[in-house]
Amino acid sequence: MDVLKVSNLVKNYGSFCAVNGVSLKVQKGEILGLLGPNGAGKTSLIHSIVTVEDFQKGSIEVCGYNLKKEIRLCKSMIGYMPQEIINHSYFNVEEVLYYHSGYYGCFNNKDYIEHLMKKFALWEHRKKRIIQLSGGMRRRLLLAKSLVHNPELLLLDEPTSGVDVSLRDDIWEFVRRLRDEGKAILFTTHYLEEAEKLCDRVAIIHKGELVRHNKTISLIQEFTLRKLGVQLKTKVNVVHKYLKLNTENYLEFHIPFSLDIGRLLEEAGLSLSQIQDIQIQEGSLEDVFKDVLDGE
Amino acid sequence: MLNSTQLKSIQTRIKWLPFIAFFRREIHRFSKVFIQTIFIPVINSSMYLIIFGVSLGSRLDLEGFSYLEFIIPGLVMMSCLSNAFQNSASSILSLKFAGDIVDVRVSPLTIQQTLWALAFGGVCRGILVGGVVLVVGELFHFYYLDRWLIPHSIGGLFAFSVLAGLVFSKMGVVIALWAKTFDHIGAVGGLVITPLTYLGGVFFSLEMLSPFWQKASLFNPILYFINGVRWSLIGMSDVTVVVSLIVSGLALVVCHVGGVLMIKNSQYYRRW
Repeated sequence: MDVLKVSNLVKNYGSFCAVNGVSLKVQKGEILGLLGPNGAGKTSLIHSIVTVEDFQKGSIEVCGYNLKKEIRLCKSMIGYMPQEIINHSYFNVEEVLYYHSGYYGCFNNKDYIEHLMKKFALWEHRKKRIIQLSGGMRRRLLLAKSLVHNPELLLLDEPTSGVDVSLRDDIWEFVRRLRDEGKAILFTTHYLEEAEKLCDRVAIIHKGELVRHNKTISLIQEFTLRKLGVQLKTKVNVVHKYLKLNTENYLEFHIPFSLDIGRLLEEAGLSLSQIQDIQIQEGSLEDVFKDVLDGE
Repeated sequence: MLNSTQLKSIQTRIKWLPFIAFFRREIHRFSKVFIQTIFIPVINSSMYLIIFGVSLGSRLDLEGFSYLEFIIPGLVMMSCLSNAFQNSASSILSLKFAGDIVDVRVSPLTIQQTLWALAFGGVCRGILVGGVVLVVGELFHFYYLDRWLIPHSIGGLFAFSVLAGLVFSKMGVVIALWAKTFDHIGAVGGLVITPLTYLGGVFFSLEMLSPFWQKASLFNPILYFINGVRWSLIGMSDVTVVVSLIVSGLALVVCHVGGVLMIKNSQYYRRW
């Protein structure tokens, strides 16, 4: 089931087109990673979904409801964690969560708020004002806030930006658990390794356009080359179209995922008795990303 | 897709509860800083009562009313509208400055609900401070004139206080959304609102002015709020109460439309 469906979305700022005809879907129990360099249009897209910005063309549906026609209903089903830290001048952690929950019409959920505070290690700090919290605590609070009304769709705009390794791991774990509970999650990040580990599917946006969109593993297999390093016992003269490096006793092939290694070795005229060692380095999402940027 | 029960449950939940939550937040916000929002305005108004009402006022007499009697309604209204203005303006400024304006924008709160919650928050603070100033005024009145000040029309007092509170709260929303810095809000407060309030007849009757300034003052909407409350409290007014009500109503419509347009415009309704 599509929890989020964005169709041909166009978002302009004056004559500048920030998002140009982007279409994507996020399904129940799925994490979609939205990647792209700075200024690619990720935040404009997210802002259009959470109605912080208006968009000019296209449509957005949340759980099958059109965002422009059923704006309040759609908003009530979206949890949003913004990129920027929010300070909340007057209130403490508990009050912030209580009022935020109230904005979504949830009043009788003190137990759930308590559960969230404990889950995000905020319980001890619940009486502290936001200004007294560390950066990591504030990020946890932002995440707790986005969940306080138990939304169907979660939009996390760079949730791990500027956090330490331990908190990052915690956030990953939370996000995975939420996915397993059936939430649909749209996740933006600049950490490609993180996206590779966490996201079921990835959409890469560049200059406002969606340039890659598929399952993470499929993107890697389709758009990257595996590096096959062959350490030889003695120097052998090899000629092959995928051979990229040929030094003393070492050969390096860059091969597509679909190519069988046995066949490659056969084509290169190499037998197992000539080989001392083989190392395989798979492609990564970073390679896909670089491929997109190089293709400009 | 949601089933009909889930849909109905969400629709019921988001109908009024977001408004109630935001309104409660507004009340909680100003009560958290009550020294600044309630105590100090009350002290300031008491100083006016001592200096103008008691020290200088003993030498003045206005149409059979003592000067102390004359300025109590003006001070009540001045406190009410300036606090209503400051409440919504500071709320918006803190939302813009701290960034939680995003929370309000992405929530199911409608533009109307946002504006009315801010306005009612301002009205509550305005009436609270105005009410305390009235109590202090009553004490002064009893002490110096040996009798309590009996309101001429309690309904009128309530109506004008609420109307003035709503108008100035919404004006606060408009100006705070327009403001790009804290300086802007200070400039509008100090250069526009305060002079108009002082010139709106808090401390004097229109009859004390020259004919030109009498006519010029009629263009000051604050004059009508102050005279509305003066009529409600002591039965005296420079303008008829019906005209005061009409002008107050028109001012409310103008400020409401302004507030809606500003909240609708994402250029203004955003984080600094």
